[in-house]
Amino acid sequence: MNSSHTSVRRGVSLPATGSLLLCVFAFLFMLAAGGCGKRAVETIVVGSKNFTEQIVLAELFAQEIEAHSALRVERRLNLGGTFICHDALVSGKIDLYPEYTGTALTAVLNDPLQKDPAEVLHHVQEEYRARFNVEVMRPLGFNNTFAMIVRGEDADRLHLRRISDVAPYAPKWRAGFGYEFMERPDGYRGWITAYGLHFAGEPRILDLGLLYRALADKQVDLVAGNSTDGVIASLHMVVLEDDLHYFPPYEAVPLVRRATLEKHPEVRDAIGMLAGKISVDEMRQMNYAVDGEHRDPADVVREFRKAKGL
Amino acid sequence: MNWYEFMLRNRSEVFERTLEHIGLVGASMAISLVIGLPLGIALVRRAKLQRWVIGAANVVQTIPSLALFGFLIPVPWIGGVGASTAIVALSLYAILPILRNTCTGIAEVDPAVIESARGMGMTPRQVLWQVQLPLAAPVLLAGIRVSTAMCIGITTIAAAIGAGGLGVFIFRGLAMVNNQVILAGAIPAACLAIAADSGLGYFQRSSARR
Repeated sequence: MNSSHTSVRRGVSLPATGSLLLCVFAFLFMLAAGGCGKRAVETIVVGSKNFTEQIVLAELFAQEIEAHSALRVERRLNLGGTFICHDALVSGKIDLYPEYTGTALTAVLNDPLQKDPAEVLHHVQEEYRARFNVEVMRPLGFNNTFAMIVRGEDADRLHLRRISDVAPYAPKWRAGFGYEFMERPDGYRGWITAYGLHFAGEPRILDLGLLYRALADKQVDLVAGNSTDGVIASLHMVVLEDDLHYFPPYEAVPLVRRATLEKHPEVRDAIGMLAGKISVDEMRQMNYAVDGEHRDPADVVREFRKAKGL
Repeated sequence: MNWYEFMLRNRSEVFERTLEHIGLVGASMAISLVIGLPLGIALVRRAKLQRWVIGAANVVQTIPSLALFGFLIPVPWIGGVGASTAIVALSLYAILPILRNTCTGIAEVDPAVIESARGMGMTPRQVLWQVQLPLAAPVLLAGIRVSTAMCIGITTIAAAIGAGGLGVFIFRGLAMVNNQVILAGAIPAACLAIAADSGLGYFQRSSARR
């Protein structure tokens, strides 16, 4: 009884193991073949975080490299945030991605706040070179700082122009912020202290992408977004001026692996051409074209490059 | 600092978030059971309607959770910002395995057994409650088991709509570039899923033995 039982089980399991092994080998072979194919054409991998501006900038990097070199460009967009992009860059999974000087300073390097843009850039350049062997290239031209945003109707009705103007209304308001803003040293705690704000209850903590929806739908009355977000204009919202200059500079810069630049100097030339080329208005317009008009980022970037003669 | 040191130091918040997580999973599972089981039973003999309903549940499954949250924010009563939106979305996700296993479990009961139950003079209601459901129980429980484990995992996304739970650590850790914080959310969530799965697995096996 017992022996017949085991023999039946063996009869079933042996072919099963065989076909499983076959599958594994086939899979490994496919991986190896794929790997070889990739190495034959030199490939640059452009990464980006998971919001529109990052995708637009990464697309711009990709098109510049494609236009000024024979390299193949792979786009690995929509990576989930600063941390994942940074890890991917340092470990060589991506070759470059757009970053902001203030984010690099406080979120990645964990260094104290500084307010002078030139000093921040210089410090970040030195540290990235020494610690990660990554080159921080020249700024693209605009500053994407945290923006305190209210509904346009509220701004009109209550004559709100600066963040300081909010203080008398804050006790009746609910605020909505992203996780990043709540945790960063240049974020929530310092901000409410600097402006002496007291909101009704703890702030609602939401995913970045849901904040504007919650604001438009009056679930919250003030959110922290980014100054270049395209939806600000399309949803008739107003950015309050940072009148106490609380937020440090967040200049957009390309971060590129130095190993990649040494191997492909043409990448440096292609990306270098973008220095100082994008104003905050132009960035907001491109973001709006994608967010508000639902256009393809690649087309928007192509138009921008044409207009700029790149 | 190791992740367990971080967890020890923040144990009161880890505990609180774990409770929130269990609460969200419990509420979502309760809703999906209350809807999924009766709906599944009702659909057993309506093959065409069943295809449509399961198709719809499949489609819901493919909607990314952030998109679903986005749709739900403006909806009065069930929507908005906070736990209610999260629970609605999670229930919608959890319903499919329950619904499908209820339908297939009952459909796969041997027709000869049902025939002989009818022959013994049982009413259709008695056949359902005394024959079909007990025999389908292991498959039903398998569906609930899959659904619960999945629900514990995806409940981490509730933190994106301000509903709390262990996902708070994951989102916070991602924003802070800090693996320890991510693990403080991911590891208790994994433990919860394993505990729930083995607990329900025990029930499933004991129901199969009978």
